[in-house]
Amino acid sequence: MRTLSIPVLLAAVIALSYFSSQVSNEADQKVQQSQFSIAVEDASGLVGPEVLRAAGAKIVVGKASGIEMVKRGQVDAFVYYPVGPAQHAVEVYAKDDGIINNAKYSAAASALLKAGVTAKLGGGEAVSLLQTPPDVSVVTYKDGQETKGFGRAVAPGLFLVLFYAVIVLLGNQMLTSTTEEKENRVIEMILTSVTARTIIVGKILSLVGLGIIQIVAILVPVLVGYFGFREVLNIPVLDLSQVSFAPWPIGVGAAIFLGGFLLFTGLLVAIGAAVPTAKEAGGFFAVAMILVFVPFYALGAIVTSPDQLVVKVMSFFPLTAPITLMLRNAVGNLSAGETAVGLVILYVTGALLMALAIRIFRFGSLEYARKLGIREILTRRA
Amino acid sequence: MSASPIVSIANFRMQFGDNVVIDDLSFEVNAGETFAFLGSNGSGKTTTIRTLLGIFEPTAGELLVKGRHYDPSMSAFLGYLPEERGLYKKESVLDTMLYFGELRWMSRPAARAWSLTYLERVGLADKAHVAIEKLSGGQQQKIQLGVTIMNDPELMILDEPTKGFDPVNRRLLMEIVEEHSRRGATVILVTHQMEEVERLCDRVILLKDGRRRLYGTVDEIRREYGEEVIDLEFNGQLPLKGRRYEAKLAGKRSAELVAADGCTPQQVLEELVGHHDLVITKFELRRSSLDDIFVNIYSEPTEVPVG
Repeated sequence: MRTLSIPVLLAAVIALSYFSSQVSNEADQKVQQSQFSIAVEDASGLVGPEVLRAAGAKIVVGKASGIEMVKRGQVDAFVYYPVGPAQHAVEVYAKDDGIINNAKYSAAASALLKAGVTAKLGGGEAVSLLQTPPDVSVVTYKDGQETKGFGRAVAPGLFLVLFYAVIVLLGNQMLTSTTEEKENRVIEMILTSVTARTIIVGKILSLVGLGIIQIVAILVPVLVGYFGFREVLNIPVLDLSQVSFAPWPIGVGAAIFLGGFLLFTGLLVAIGAAVPTAKEAGGFFAVAMILVFVPFYALGAIVTSPDQLVVKVMSFFPLTAPITLMLRNAVGNLSAGETAVGLVILYVTGALLMALAIRIFRFGSLEYARKLGIREILTRRA
Repeated sequence: MSASPIVSIANFRMQFGDNVVIDDLSFEVNAGETFAFLGSNGSGKTTTIRTLLGIFEPTAGELLVKGRHYDPSMSAFLGYLPEERGLYKKESVLDTMLYFGELRWMSRPAARAWSLTYLERVGLADKAHVAIEKLSGGQQQKIQLGVTIMNDPELMILDEPTKGFDPVNRRLLMEIVEEHSRRGATVILVTHQMEEVERLCDRVILLKDGRRRLYGTVDEIRREYGEEVIDLEFNGQLPLKGRRYEAKLAGKRSAELVAADGCTPQQVLEELVGHHDLVITKFELRRSSLDDIFVNIYSEPTEVPVG
């Protein structure tokens, strides 16, 4: 039950969000379609009496009298179109019908002005193009081969989503898996039967299995909903023809994901083993998470200016490297050389952190009441 | 009882930073014997045990179990009850016992059968599916003991096994330990309960200031370090020091007396009888207990710290 609690909660949140969005859309449509009485002064001359008459609007001369009509309840709304409405705001004075319903007045004012301008232009394709931007298809080429544009970022970008999901779903558990051993005080008995390395590897493998179960528990209903109930739930069709499945970026994305996972697992297990309680570990966990997600705050630079110093530093500083490298790989601005250097840094740091985690676990797990200092950890005989 | 040592510790030294916890400790535990490991709090007993079991690495010296350095692959023959008690609080009693049984290479059916029989014996049969955290402290300790002995270990190391037990459960635990000992298991008992040592143990080692201070059979130690004590019960006034005796411990109606050098208990009795306001109701001779010896040893001045 505890394993599935997170996916179930996530599913509930997503369902609630979807439901809220549907209800809100329906309410919005209702507001748009509601009728009310309107008076207009068209100082701009762009709307035109024919359009106003067709809309059932009363033509008024003088802004003050229009406003007075609203105040007295003679009309629901008075719209004043100033000279040069592109530079000066259209003014609407109306009866208060609630925060949400009041939106109908500005919608109506805009619609009338649009209708007036369209009528003056005489309609036709030119007017349609002005009203609705045309669809544009883009085909790009690199080294004579067609590339998929944004579609090339989707598949490698999934590793970023996966990394985020792993950290969110499992990060705290990785931390507490070792602090709980200390708090339970079982570890001394366990260490006579199993080595510290076996314990740590076992914990990581079990957490990975747990993560897979949780991800499957989220994905299965999504896939069932998409393939089985897409029309009922109003889910748009996903066009996968524009998505690229090129092996190099996917392979690099996978390698960065695994290296990042190794690094953060080692870090979180080490923190958990070094501190006496889960409460103390929480402070360090927060710092680790900030470092993981700091690259998102430099997203623009990472995507558009990979040669900037700050992007280079984040690409190779171990704690920010996973997210930065995955982002750069997804958008295609990560060179082969940088990939190689980045992967070496990730895996070497990850291996060192894992070794340190095992060492800390071995000594720290028996220190029930105090934190181990780094000097003590490194100098104690193992 | 076999004479070959199952545990052999030679020139063991343990230093944490500048703190020397153990300095040049050597002793052996023979297969099949019950061995007491004594010392005051902080004397290094638990550190020695942890180093013997490979949890710590020694600064110097050799600690061997069955002739080799201990590693977890030998866990099938070991039962270890550490001083720091702990079980997985959210797990049920039976699941916990099965887990530890399998860790020590028992088959699941064998572990289950043994666990249920043990729970019946210690009066916890109805708690098999209850979470550990719902048990009392004493009940949890019984589970912990069960987990320690369930693989019928050849070597049992019990660090303060009766800590927190009431007298009834303490006796039950000692009975269980004795049974295993009679079946040939070697038992290393780390304890402060001298009556358990005197009752169960074949040999004893006492640590003081990181070194071996006493080592030998219980009788040898009593003979060498003990003295004749007079248990006295009386009415009236007892002078605490006489010409032929000194009172080691004195209450309103009872005392322990030790004869002065060169004096016999008979002479002490004659002196006491001579006091007009003292009526003796009991006068009994005995050898000083291990407890007395322990207290005397620890009352000696502390040696200058080594290192």
